[in-house]
This record gives sequence, C-alpha cells and structure tokens, in this order.
Amino acid sequence: MGYLSTIIILGGISVIAALGLAILTGYTGMFSIGHAGFMALGGYMAAVINMQLGIPFLPAVLIGGLFSGACSLLIGFPTFRSRLTGDYFAIATFGFSEAIRLVLTNTYPLIGGAYGLTGMPMLTNAANTLLITVGAVLLAHAFVTSQYGKNCIAVSQDATAAQMMGVNVLKTKLIALFISAFYAGVAGGLLGFYLAYLTPSLFNITRSSDLLAAVVFGGMQSLIGPVIAAFVLVAVPQLLYSFTEWRLVVYGMVFVLVMVFRPQGLLGYTEMNGTFLRVWFSALRRRLMRKPQPQEG
Amino acid sequence: MELFLQQVVSGISIGAVYSLLAVGYALVYSVYNFTNWAFDAFMVVGAFAGFYAISSFSLPFWAAIVFAIVMTVAISLLVETGAYRPLRMRNAPRLFMMISAMGANLTLINLINNLFGGAFRKFPEISAGTIYLGNIAIGKMDLFAALFSFVTLGLLWFFLQRTKAGLAIRASSLDTTTAGILGINNNRVALLIFTITGILSATSGIFYGMKYAVYPYLGGVTIKAMIASIIGGLGSLPGAVVGSLLLGVLETLVAGYISSTYRDLFSFIFLIIVLLFLPTGILGVRTEEKL
Repeated sequence: MGYLSTIIILGGISVIAALGLAILTGYTGMFSIGHAGFMALGGYMAAVINMQLGIPFLPAVLIGGLFSGACSLLIGFPTFRSRLTGDYFAIATFGFSEAIRLVLTNTYPLIGGAYGLTGMPMLTNAANTLLITVGAVLLAHAFVTSQYGKNCIAVSQDATAAQMMGVNVLKTKLIALFISAFYAGVAGGLLGFYLAYLTPSLFNITRSSDLLAAVVFGGMQSLIGPVIAAFVLVAVPQLLYSFTEWRLVVYGMVFVLVMVFRPQGLLGYTEMNGTFLRVWFSALRRRLMRKPQPQEG
Repeated sequence: MELFLQQVVSGISIGAVYSLLAVGYALVYSVYNFTNWAFDAFMVVGAFAGFYAISSFSLPFWAAIVFAIVMTVAISLLVETGAYRPLRMRNAPRLFMMISAMGANLTLINLINNLFGGAFRKFPEISAGTIYLGNIAIGKMDLFAALFSFVTLGLLWFFLQRTKAGLAIRASSLDTTTAGILGINNNRVALLIFTITGILSATSGIFYGMKYAVYPYLGGVTIKAMIASIIGGLGSLPGAVVGSLLLGVLETLVAGYISSTYRDLFSFIFLIIVLLFLPTGILGVRTEEKL
C-alpha cells in the first residue's frame, strides 16, 4: 500500500503541474521551460505560511498557488506586452526559474538556503492528492471549454487573426499563464507537504523537462493526454529504477521523433469525453464485428 | 578607476566568448525565426572534443580546436537534417521546432553525461601568465580567446557580406520562401548556416571550458548568450555582438562591486528591463504584423 500511495501522490502532483503546462503550451501555444520555478514558489510559500502562521493544509496550498500565479505575471506582462514571439517567453521563463533557484539557494533566514526548508508536517496523503487532482482536472476542463479556453486556442492558432476577431491577446495569454502557474504552485505545495522538506535543487531544469515531456507526449490541445502521460512518466521510472539515468536521453529522442512523425502527440486534439468514447467504441465494435467479405466471383 | 578599467577589460573578454554564441543564435534566428535550443549541447560537444583531444590523444592546441570544430559541425548537421529539416519541410509551427530542438538538446547533454560522467575536468593549461597594460592585468588565454573570437566574427562578417554564399544566406534571412523561388537551394543554405553555428559553438565551448572547467552542464551559459542576443535585438548579428559585450561588462561590474552570488540575477533583471522599455533590443527590427 505504501508503494501504491507513493505512486498515486507523486503521479497526482505531476498530473496537476502537467495540466497547468497543458493549458499554457498545449492550448495557448506558449512554451515554458521554467515551470519548476513556479512549483518552487508555490511550494515554499505554502510551507512557510503553514509553519510560521499556522495556516492549515488546503488554504496554504491554494495560497501558494495564487502566489505563484501572481509572480508569473511579473515575467508574463513584459514579454507579452511587447508582443514578442514564443522564443522570448521561453527564454524568460528559463531565466526566471534559474533566478528563483538562485535566490532560494542564497536566502538563509526562514527558508534555509541551500540546505533547504525542513520540518513541515507531512500532510499530503493519497486520498487528498486524489481529490485535489480530480478537482484540478474538472477545473481545467471547465476552463478550456469556456469562452476563455476558446480564446486561448484562437491565440495559439493565429494571434493576429484572433485579435482582429476581438480577442484581447494580452489578457488571454496572461490568464493562461496565471492558471498555469497556479497549478504548478499547488503541485509544489503538495510536494512539500509530502516530502516534509524542500530544497532548491528539487526544482531544477530536469523537473521542467519532465513536465514538458508529459505535455509533448500526451498531445497538444488535450487534457487527458498529458494527464495519462504525466502519470505514466512518474510510474514507469519508479518501476524500472535503472531507467532513471537514461530517462532524459530517451525523452529527448522521443521529443524529436514525436515532432517529426506525430506532432499532435499521443492524444492530440482529442478529449476523453462522451463523444470521444462513443467514437472509440464504435470503431472498436466495427473492427470486432467485421464479417469476412464474400469473395467476388 | 584602475579597478573599474580592470573590470571592464575582463568583462570584454567574457563578452567576446558570449558574442560567438550570441551571433550563432542570431544567425539561425534571422533566417528561420526560431531559437536553436540545441546550441547548448553543441557547445558541450565542442568543449568535450577539445578536452579529450588534448588530454587523451595529446594533440597540439590548434589540432584540438580543429578536431572540436569537426565533431561539433558533424553533430550540428546531424541535428539539422534529423530534427529540424523534416519539420521545416512541412512548415510546422514554431512551437514544434522548439520542442524538437529541446529534445535534441536533452538527448545530447544527457548522453554525454552518462557516457563520460558528470565530473568537472580541468582543461590542460595551454599558456599561463598575464600581460600587463599599465596596471591592468589580462590573462594571456583571455586575450587569445577575445582576439580569436573577434577574428572569427570578422571572417564571418566578410563571408556574409562579400561572398556569393553569404549573399544567399542574407537573401534567405529576408524571406526564405522567395529566396527559394529565386533559385537559392534552401537546404544547402541550412547546411551552411549550421556549419557556421557549429564552428562558433565549438570555439566558444573550448574557450569557456578553458576559462572555467569542462563538464556536461557547462552549456547552461548559453542562457547568457540568449539574453545577450535579445538585448542586442533577436536576429541582428551586430546587435548580438553589442549585447554580448554589454552583458559581459555588466556582469563583471556587478560581480566586482555588488555581489558575485547574485550576478546572474542582475543579468536577468537587465533582460526584463530591456524587454519592458526596448522590446526589440538595441539593434533589432520589428517584424510583427501591423494591425
């Protein structure tokens, strides 16, 4: 049971963070390689307010998420306002996450600097992770099917055309970034309360790459794809321990292969809803019930 | 005053190494409008090839540079044909190009890390000693790196401005499709560009490895070059050089007068300030569609 709950908790945390990145990268078309930085912000914030102010688990995690979302606007606004393309934003997120790690490593009062923050209570368990994850999936689904979600898709496909149709591009991008950083912050908070410690090195570029892998493998403009991929990418390295070392080499190669041969990802542009299931079942039934064709004379 | 001049001089010598990388980014960006995220890995390949050429094969220094350049160009062309060309051929969105480049980067760096180990290696001393200009000390290798970088950039400028192949690259940077219609072989231009970026990243990898150490994550410094090329204006080659020198001087001044721990934080804050007030950089061109 302990092993299973480990996979559920770590998988759930990864799923929540990947959902946030799916909204940003998959739906809005902006590429972030610094999401671990947002996780760090949320995680540290939640831990500090829990330990210093005695704020209970769930509000602390949510406040951590909101804090992370607010900080994301700090880089979102200058990059989006000047309407520069994706590369600038990617570089800015990368620089931002490195800057956060630098500050966390060198701030010793309150958060322990390079030694990390220790001694918070272990409040995350399989049950509340599962509940929060389900809540996160439902919320993300509600967002992407709302008018805001449609704006995001429009911006990702053609920002100029979207603007001509009356979509506020800056606002749409900022909303997507805020939600995305909020999810990452919540995931960071859960991670802190699960491990009972936080160090800046937990939130390095490898973690950002893992999240990106979930979104790329899972598929663009899909929530269920990244959810499944994030969970599998956590569970498989746990099962095959020797795989961890070569994991990133394989991920990188699969990134390139996916982009070259199946750029939409595993489940790109599909959603696990009623329509999807119906289409899938009828395809399965056709295949199973297909009668051998009578030979033409 | 002397301390200040000393800082400026070492800033310029760091900036020269940044400028090799930044020009590489700018060159790819000016033609393909995307940032070559695999540059990081090319630089590491160059540094490792140069290191092992000297320490294991005991080649002379110039031969090590040539060996590193050959290896890096080979890897660079492999990434171009394997990871970029198929996407470019079907006009894939830029996001896909970036993901593909990130994938190539992730693979190469972790492959090197797993095969050679993550240890920090001291680059064999080529020529120690310092030269004094008045009271300002310059490391001989720093001076050599700076001079070599500027000569390389000069040759590149000559190549781009005065040869037919350079003309083809400049035409492609204006409009790749039109250049293709007018009879420029786009794939050959791509091979040429990635050969040049291979040379640039190999030399900067060697010089950076010599200055600090050779290890698989040394390519992290490319973020500085990206910042420099944004400051100078993405896609502008002279801008990349100006941005790199500015960033190099700023960094050594911050490290000297304020705090060496927070040096990188200041570079990042500088980037945000530039993005806020000078979105296209110092010498950049605005390419956004007007509404």
